[in-house]
Amino acid sequence: MSIKKKISLTVNGQAVTAEVEPRTHLVDFLREELHLKGPHLGCEQGACGAFTVKVNGQIIRGCLYLAIQANGSQVDTVEGLTKNGTLTDLQESFMRHNAMQCGFCSSGMLLAAAELIEQRPKATREEVREWISGNYCRCTGYHSIVDAIVDVLVARASGQKIKPVIAHA
Amino acid sequence: MKAAAFDYVKPKALPEALSLLAEAGEDARLIAGGQTLLATLNMRLSEPSVLIDITDIAELKGITLLGDHLRIGALVTHTEIEDSQLIAQHAPLLKAAAPHIAHRAIRNLGTWGGSLAYGDPAAEWPACSLTLGAIMIIHGPSGERRISAQDFFIDLYTTSLEPDEILVATEIPIASSNQVFYFHELARRHGDYAVAGLAAVAKKQGDVLTDCAFTFFSIGATPVMAIQAQKIVNGQAVNPDLITKAVSAARSEIEAIADITNSAEAKQHLIGVLLERGLKHLVS
Amino acid sequence: MELNGEQLIAASIPDVWKGLNDVDVLARSIPGCEEISRISPEEVHAKVMFKIGPVRARFSGKLLLSDIIPDQSCSMAFEGSGGAAGFAKGKSRVELKPAEGGTLVSYTTEASIGGKLGQIGGRLISASAKKIADDFFQKFAKELGGEAIALESDKSDQ
Repeated sequence: MSIKKKISLTVNGQAVTAEVEPRTHLVDFLREELHLKGPHLGCEQGACGAFTVKVNGQIIRGCLYLAIQANGSQVDTVEGLTKNGTLTDLQESFMRHNAMQCGFCSSGMLLAAAELIEQRPKATREEVREWISGNYCRCTGYHSIVDAIVDVLVARASGQKIKPVIAHA
Repeated sequence: MKAAAFDYVKPKALPEALSLLAEAGEDARLIAGGQTLLATLNMRLSEPSVLIDITDIAELKGITLLGDHLRIGALVTHTEIEDSQLIAQHAPLLKAAAPHIAHRAIRNLGTWGGSLAYGDPAAEWPACSLTLGAIMIIHGPSGERRISAQDFFIDLYTTSLEPDEILVATEIPIASSNQVFYFHELARRHGDYAVAGLAAVAKKQGDVLTDCAFTFFSIGATPVMAIQAQKIVNGQAVNPDLITKAVSAARSEIEAIADITNSAEAKQHLIGVLLERGLKHLVS
Repeated sequence: MELNGEQLIAASIPDVWKGLNDVDVLARSIPGCEEISRISPEEVHAKVMFKIGPVRARFSGKLLLSDIIPDQSCSMAFEGSGGAAGFAKGKSRVELKPAEGGTLVSYTTEASIGGKLGQIGGRLISASAKKIADDFFQKFAKELGGEAIALESDKSDQ
């Protein structure tokens, strides 16, 4: 059976319409149909966090959400949030702290961190660790990621920007 | 892994949802947050022919204060409970429990009603609803019925819900001014299924606790109240001697079942550890 | 995974033995049984839909009986495939003894569950198996017109 249903949604600020099978995960739709490869396929069980994307302003597990459920919604991936500058200071901080090695977890980490900074601006180091415990990293050992996020929290609290690692042209 | 193919419908109202459910029978699954269901479908541990999305149904939404009760709609997400002012004020136990549920991304979608309907022994909401004396409001082909949390959780993954019924909301008595609460969950890592947990409330006057409700989860097939321990603590000054008696009572009245994490003996031991910590916290 | 238990059934030994060997009685007693057929005196095939929590897994299986002593005991080897969900295999021994009030059925089972169900459903597999066994005996006893009383009582029933 391959019934397809029509969906209309906004992805990274752009209106999109498509036909999808109900069983297609949101992120499979984003990756395969819209070629947004930012979110990565990990466990497909909702445990690893590599599939994290933002729907209607909240982070969700992209493998535990159907494209058809996103009908009428606003979806943001790491590509869009990079372009609109939401992730800039986090990304600079990640680079400063070498918080990315293979990069597989990074888009999920950045999105999770962005929601933390927004929702818990006074988070302690312990709270940062708890918050990102839903995102697995096999390379870094997590400390550099936590350091990077804490730096952004501190900078924001004192109204400062993270100094760019590379000067932008 | 990818789920097997299925159809998808999104009714706009409760009567429509109920008739779709009755029509499709065992072949349909209800989807709200989908945080348990979609993981199950991804692994092909269930292959329904149709998903009925109930997230548009108004009666299932919202947290409302109704006099001395709080009505929590089945569709309220774990994050909504975590962030709600009404919950913080009138059911602080729930606010304390919410951050223990999985991780933020899952809490943003997972629902109060979903957790109650599955009745996983390690889940937080079934235990909290039992401790708070919740009333479940259920709709089916023959209309509305109400049932206490005590009677709702029957056996392992078995609640009073019939296949053609939908859990619509729960009503919880609001916390009294002298209510104290304790919520703790032991797990290997934050967000893992609990190894053992305690959701406790009581009324406090000095160092005396009354109206005690101690519910243990991830111990038995359903959340279970330590009735004898409650009787021992009620109306007495909490001191080391009372704690010892209460711990002993809880450990002998509750029969723990092993799971893949711990033996029954380990869980039996943890019942006492949690109760001791709980009692100390409740009177502090 | 091991599953051992005892049930007292308010029915005579010959009736209990007959019931355990009657595929129609089994069809109505096994929770989720969709199809069952006897291939030979020793072999039974069945299709059962297991419902535990969110899981709905349809298993096709066969049961092979051996060491049959009528009205007394028998051994069973079973194996089942749940398609993408996984597989199960094991063996069981069932014994019937006279008891006050009817028949004492005691069973010992060793089973292994593999595949997705073993990995993901494995957390509560023993408790789930126990529940299925209890449900089976409740229905089986009703079929025989009697009652099933589990002999390991659940103390948490307040």
